[in-house]
Amino acid sequence: MADERDTGTLAARIMGTRVWRSVFRHDYPEADLDRMSTMVTNFFLHLMPAKVHPNSLRLAYTWALGMVALFLTVILFVTGFLLMFFYIPSTDWAYHNMKDLQFVVSFGPLLRNMHRWAAHGMVALVFLHMCRVFYTGSYRTPREFNWVLGVLLWVVTLFLSFTGYLLPWDQLAFWAITVGTSIASYPPWIGETIRVLLLGGGTVGQGALLRFYVLHVAVLPAILGLLVAIHFWRIRKDGGLSRPAGAPGPAAAGPGAFAPGPLKTYALMEVVRGTSPMVGAQAPEEEVPSWPHLLFRLVVLFQGVLVVTMLLGVFFDAPLEELANPVHPPNPAKAPWYFLGLQELVSYSALVGGVVVPGLLILGLMSIPYVDRESDGEGVWFTAPRGKKVALWSFVGTAPFTGLLIFLNARLGLRRFVPEPPQLLADLLNPATLLLVAIAVASLLVGRRTGSRRMAAIALFSCFLSAYILLMVIGTFFRGPNWDWIWPWAAGGRQG
Amino acid sequence: MAKPGPQPETPAPAGSRISRRLLLGTGWGGFLLSIVGPALANVRFLFPNVVYEGPSLFRVGRPEEYPAGSVTFLEDQRFFILHEPEGFRALSAICTHLRCTTGPFVPSGGQWKETHSRCPCHGSVFAKDGRVLQGPAPRPLDFYWVSLAPDGRLLVDTAASVAKGDVFKV
Repeated sequence: MADERDTGTLAARIMGTRVWRSVFRHDYPEADLDRMSTMVTNFFLHLMPAKVHPNSLRLAYTWALGMVALFLTVILFVTGFLLMFFYIPSTDWAYHNMKDLQFVVSFGPLLRNMHRWAAHGMVALVFLHMCRVFYTGSYRTPREFNWVLGVLLWVVTLFLSFTGYLLPWDQLAFWAITVGTSIASYPPWIGETIRVLLLGGGTVGQGALLRFYVLHVAVLPAILGLLVAIHFWRIRKDGGLSRPAGAPGPAAAGPGAFAPGPLKTYALMEVVRGTSPMVGAQAPEEEVPSWPHLLFRLVVLFQGVLVVTMLLGVFFDAPLEELANPVHPPNPAKAPWYFLGLQELVSYSALVGGVVVPGLLILGLMSIPYVDRESDGEGVWFTAPRGKKVALWSFVGTAPFTGLLIFLNARLGLRRFVPEPPQLLADLLNPATLLLVAIAVASLLVGRRTGSRRMAAIALFSCFLSAYILLMVIGTFFRGPNWDWIWPWAAGGRQG
Repeated sequence: MAKPGPQPETPAPAGSRISRRLLLGTGWGGFLLSIVGPALANVRFLFPNVVYEGPSLFRVGRPEEYPAGSVTFLEDQRFFILHEPEGFRALSAICTHLRCTTGPFVPSGGQWKETHSRCPCHGSVFAKDGRVLQGPAPRPLDFYWVSLAPDGRLLVDTAASVAKGDVFKV
């Protein structure tokens, strides 16, 4: 290749022109030095470090969850931009636009299906990524604030998916807006104002559809983009991905590995204050060049994500319910799977299940790195064998407890004893509140017993995870018409 | 070129010049106000002054169309007309939990010892006088103001709730 260029081929001549040199400031990336120079000078590649530690690349450490979420975001932006060309956010048009996409637009079904499956995937992947970061203790100093940004990204993802499934203006959309904005009206004092702000009026109609459309295609994607940029930038500034300690894996022995050598040199060191360049944490030098070790994996990963999303889009159609009917909700009126745990909680108390629990959950998640200030076991799944045990027992133990609460509520609900309870009593004595209190107490007990805030955090997180998954399963399979309990295997019990 | 970092503050001669702190404070304060003011206007902008929503007044037919003791579900208007011995009542069919439409009233049976209406969304159950029999609904269903229009038809105002005991006698 190098010979060809030297003998003055057309390619070499083009790459030697002033125009080419003004665009690409690096040489042809065939040797490590040019590749690293490419990583630094190329706008898209400079998000990645020039060199990366092999331990951060271990698949069983990160499972690449954050990157998959990013790739799904890319797919969502592209398919979303395209869908916008065939969608009018009007109550008269929106549903018919969906039908057009399904039946008359070339590749319309594929694009809409891909947008939907990528969105569902993103809800799952962002959450799984958060679980990975939590269980490997990767929120530790100096990454506390990046964890907070990650929690915000999760919330933005949920709002994006919520505002997205409102747009087809089918039954799901209409009743989701009705229920969602009603939940937003529950916080005392400001609730009704929030509802009017969201709906652009007092009832669900054209104003609401337009507002949710603007949120979905402009406001929330802008916030998401900004947060993702800061999230990635901070990864770099905080010293790269967290990683397990210990000898690097086989990748380090591969071509291009660096022998232990002198410390890196950094420009601007004189004027940079604080800990941002994090050089101390990276000795001894065992890093490998990101090109090819990181870049190759990402290219393969993107291929994989794209192929899976396309296959899902080809074989599974995104559902579309009947045209929105402002008079009749479907029976049962079910949210998408990831909100069904929330719907189950809301079916006990809208204030507790829809406002207090989600609010405390988000605040609690954000505060984890500031409460757990221990430093051992960063980059190690569950920190220690003890952590694995705590996580397992918290996860397993919460399920029967949650089940028992729901059973007791169904059999011995508050109204059996107090037919017309004051609302405060109903908000205090229901499965959602009791579960919240029990999980908090369990976490405190674990913290007391182990003397470790990290263990308390693991217990708290695992209990919530277990409870939410169980509630999601109950909402999906065990709730029928009128939100009655059903056995999914009983004849006719299963609802579509 | 000046070195970066804090500069030693030269004390101002008393009474002759404003202090550095006051100057910067005023400057930054003014800057912040210039941002916050328009931002508040933007928030107010988002609350509509005019909405094009349907009317809250409904004419629902002549009183004689509702037999004594009947409960009629007017689905499009989302309320029930109750013709009781004392008179007429309009009972809202909008669940007080999260505003789904509750189902029609069905006779007592199973777990329920009285006529009841069930909400499909989260399982609230209501009695004919609006009471919550079960579920997450935080308060009874509303009763609406009922009157007679000049043309002799019943008039219901869904924007005006009335007390449980209020009835309209024809």
